[in-house]
Amino acid sequence: MGLRGWLGRLAVGVEVPVFPVVGGGAREAIQDLRLRPELELVDSPRHAAVMLVVGAFPPGDVDGLAQVHDQLAPPRRTVRWGGEPVASLPDAVVVDGGEDAVVAAITETFAELMSDPDRGEPPILPDVDPVEWRGVGPYGQGGMGMTGGTPYGRPMAERGPARDGLELDRVPITIGPWLPTLPPGLRLDVVFQGDVLQEVEVGPAPIVPGEGSDLFVRALTEPVPIAEMELARARHHLRLLAEILRVEDLAVASRRALRLVHGIRPGATGEVERLAAALVRAGLYALALRGVGRLDRPPPGPAARATGVAVDARSDDPEYRKLGFEPVTVEGGDAAARVRLLLAETVQALELAAKAGPARAGGRGVVEAPRGRLEVGEPPPERTLLDLAPEVLVGQEWGDAVTIIHTLDLDVEAAGREIPV
Amino acid sequence: MNPVVSVLFVGGVLGIGAYVVAVLDRAFGPVSRGPRDWFVWPIRRAAFLAVQRRTETERPDAEAWILAPALLAALAAAGLTAVPVTPSLAVADVSAGVVLFGAAMIIVMVAVFLQGWSPNSLFPLIGAYRFAAMALSFGIPFSLVVLTTAIPAESLSVGAIVASQEGLWNVVRQPLGLPVYLVTGAAVAFWGPFRIPEGTDLAGGAVLEASGSARAVWRIARAGVLVTLSVMGAAIFLGGHLGPVLPGWAWTALKTLVLLAVFVWSGHAFARMRVERFVWFGWVVLLPVALVDVFASGILAL
Amino acid sequence: MSVLGVTAIVVFGVASVVTGWLVFRTDSMVRAAYWLMASFVGVGAMLVTLDSQFLGLILILMMAGEMTIMAIFMVMYMMNPAGLNPMVMVHQHRTAIAAGVGSFLLLATVALVADFPADPAPAGADPTAELGFELLGRSMLVFESAGVALLAVMIGAVAVAGKWGRFGDADAGSVEPPLDPEEAAS
Repeated sequence: MGLRGWLGRLAVGVEVPVFPVVGGGAREAIQDLRLRPELELVDSPRHAAVMLVVGAFPPGDVDGLAQVHDQLAPPRRTVRWGGEPVASLPDAVVVDGGEDAVVAAITETFAELMSDPDRGEPPILPDVDPVEWRGVGPYGQGGMGMTGGTPYGRPMAERGPARDGLELDRVPITIGPWLPTLPPGLRLDVVFQGDVLQEVEVGPAPIVPGEGSDLFVRALTEPVPIAEMELARARHHLRLLAEILRVEDLAVASRRALRLVHGIRPGATGEVERLAAALVRAGLYALALRGVGRLDRPPPGPAARATGVAVDARSDDPEYRKLGFEPVTVEGGDAAARVRLLLAETVQALELAAKAGPARAGGRGVVEAPRGRLEVGEPPPERTLLDLAPEVLVGQEWGDAVTIIHTLDLDVEAAGREIPV
Repeated sequence: MNPVVSVLFVGGVLGIGAYVVAVLDRAFGPVSRGPRDWFVWPIRRAAFLAVQRRTETERPDAEAWILAPALLAALAAAGLTAVPVTPSLAVADVSAGVVLFGAAMIIVMVAVFLQGWSPNSLFPLIGAYRFAAMALSFGIPFSLVVLTTAIPAESLSVGAIVASQEGLWNVVRQPLGLPVYLVTGAAVAFWGPFRIPEGTDLAGGAVLEASGSARAVWRIARAGVLVTLSVMGAAIFLGGHLGPVLPGWAWTALKTLVLLAVFVWSGHAFARMRVERFVWFGWVVLLPVALVDVFASGILAL
Repeated sequence: MSVLGVTAIVVFGVASVVTGWLVFRTDSMVRAAYWLMASFVGVGAMLVTLDSQFLGLILILMMAGEMTIMAIFMVMYMMNPAGLNPMVMVHQHRTAIAAGVGSFLLLATVALVADFPADPAPAGADPTAELGFELLGRSMLVFESAGVALLAVMIGAVAVAGKWGRFGDADAGSVEPPLDPEEAAS
C-alpha cells in the first residue's frame, strides 16, 4: 500500500464532500441532507468526491450533467438516489430508500473510493478543445493587431457601453442549472460587464417537476384544516430562510433554521423569535441585505407585503377573520424587508395554527399560498415571480442578484406546474 | 538566528498555528460531532485533499496558479519573521519590522488576485476583482493603525514597540488601534464577514476551481496569514512577551491564541458583507477612525 | 561590505533586470504587470541589502498595490476578457527602441562620469532614524507641506465620498442612470 492508500484510509471519517445535482421533487430532501454530520454539501464540483444525483429528469441525455461529472476532481464516484438511472451517467451507484439509506451508500462509496484512490470513475467526455486553435499573428493572439480574432473558436468578447459611460467587455455565459448557489433547476443565460448583469434570460429547466405539496392546491376546491396550512407555511418560510442564510454565509444560523423546520409546533414561537434576534446580531440586515433589490410593484404575496401593502387572500376568508387575522406587513421593499416579513409571518403562522383548532378554510377558488396568491384560472405565483426575475436582476451585481433570487423565493419547478381545476 | 533554525521555527509556528485555526474553526463552526472530532478533523481533511487530484481548467495560467498559494504561505512566513517571540528571540528583528509586516500583508492582494485570475474561469475572476476593491479600501487604515504603534516606541522595530509597552499596553494607550486592526486584519485574511472573494454566492470564488493539494495549501496558507496577524497583533497591541510569572514565549502564545480565537469566532458569527458596503465602510468609517488614532497618538507622544 | 552582501546585491540586480526584460516577453497583461512588480521587488531587496530597510520595504509595499491596480485597468480597457487570451505586449517598435537605447546610454554615462562618494556609512548608524532626521530636519518644510496637503486631500476625499452633506444626502432624489446609454443621452 502506497502513500496515497495510507492517506486515503486516514481520510475516511471526514464528512464526505458531496456535490448535489437536484432534479424535480427533491428540493426538500437535499436540504435535509445538509443537517447530516456525515456529509458536506459543497458548492463547487471541484471540491467534491461524490456527485449525488437526486430527483426527476427528462429521459435521455440531460444537458450539462456529463460536464459536471467530469469537473469533479478525481477520484470521484456518482450516486443516483431514487428514480430512474440517468442516461448521461452510466456508472452511477443507484440507491433507493430514505435518507439513512443514501447517507449509508454515500459513506460506503466514499470509503471504497478512498481505499483505492486510483479506481474512481473515468471522465465521460473526451478532453479536447471545443474548436481547434485558429490563432494567427506572431504571438498566436488570434488577430493581426495587438489582440482580436477567434481563439479556440470563441469570438473575443465585444466591448459595449456600460452605464457609467465606459466601454467594457461583455461576457456572455450560462449559469446553472446545476449550481447549488441557485435554486434547483434555475438556468440563467446572462451577459456580464464586470460583475454587473447586463442581460438576463431564464433558460429552460432540464428537470421534471415533482408532485409538490398539494395542500394549498386542495384548499382551492375544498376546506382543509387551517392549522395544517399554517404549519406548512411556517415550514416553507423556515426552509427558505435556511437557504437565504446559507448563501449569505451564515452556516450556523442556517442549520438552526433548518432544525426548526422539523421541530415546530403550533404556538411555539419563542425559538423563531430568538433566531430572529440572533440574525440581527449577526449583521444579516446591516451587512448583507439592506437596500438590496428594492421592488416598486411586486406581485401580490410576501414580496408585496414587504413593501407595506396589505394584500393577502386570507383577509377575505371568513374563517381567518374569525381568528382575528390581519396581514403582516413590513416597510422597505428590499431584501431585508422580505426576510423580516418571512420571520414575522412564521411567528404569525405558528400563532394562527395554535388558535385555529380544528377550523377549516378553503374551497373559495383563491388561497394565499406561501409564495403568494393562488387562484383558479391564473398562473401560479411562482411563474409570476420567475417572469419578473429578468427585469429585476438586470443592472445588479452578481452577489446582489443571488440575494434577490433567494429572497424573491424563485422556484423553477413550481413555476412549471399547472393548477388543476 | 541560524538560517536553518529560522526556517524550521517559522514553518513550525505557521504549521501549528494553522492546525490551531482548523481546530478552533471546527469548534466554533456549524458541525458538532464532539470535542474529539475537533482535533481529528483537520488531519482527516488534509489527508483527503492530499488524495484528491488537482484539476485542470481550459488554458489556465498554470505557473501563476501554482505560485499563488505558495506566495500566500511565503507572505505569512515573511510577516512572522519580524516578531520577537521572547525578549531575545526573533528571526529577524529588523529596524523597519512593522513595514516589513505591512508590505507582506499588502502583497496578499497579489496572491489572491493571481489565485482568482489564473484558472481562466468567471467566478474566481470576480472573486479576485472583489478582493482588489477590498484591499484598496482596507489597505490604508490597516497600515495606519499598525504604524501608529511605532509612535510611542519611536522606532519601527517590533522589538522596540514591544519594549515600549512595559507599563502600559498599546491596547489601552491607543484604544482605537486594536478594533480597527482586528477588522482590517480579518479582511486581509478574507475571513468571516469579509469572505467576500470566496463567498457562497460565487460558489467558492477565488478557490472555486482549486482542488486537492492546491486547495489544501491555499487553506493552510490562509490560516497562516491569520496566525501571523495574531502574533503581530499580540506583539504591537497586547505587549507581546511582556507579562508576569510565565516565561515570555508563553505570554506570546497565550495572547496570540486569544486573538486567533476572536478572528475564528468572527468567521461564524457574522453574515458576509456586500463588497459595496465594505468599500463604503473602509473609506467612510475605518479610514477616519484610523486617522483619529494617528492624531491622538501623535498628540500623546508630544 | 561582506562577500555575502555583494553576492546578494548582484543576484537581486540580475533578477531585477531579467524580470524587467520578461515584462516585454510575456503575452499576458497580468503577467506583464507582475513581472514588473517582481523587478521592483528586486530593487527593493537591493535597497534592504544596502541597509536602507525602510526605503526598500516601502518600495515593495507601494508596488504591490500599484501593479495590481495597473493589471486591473489594463484588463478592463483592453478588449480581452480576463486578459487570458494571448496578446502582444509591445508596440511602436521604433520609438520604443530609440527610447530604450537613449535612456541606457544616458544612465551608462551617468554611471561612468559621476563622482560617487566612497566613504562608508559609520557602523551602528540607524538608517531609518537618519532618514527620519533628514526628512524632518533640513527638508522639513517640503515634507511637512506635502504631508499636510496629502492629509487634507485624504480628509477631503472622505468628505466627498460620504453620503451626507450640508444639503442632505448626496443621493437624495437621484436616479440611477439607465442601462441603455442612448436612453441616457436623450
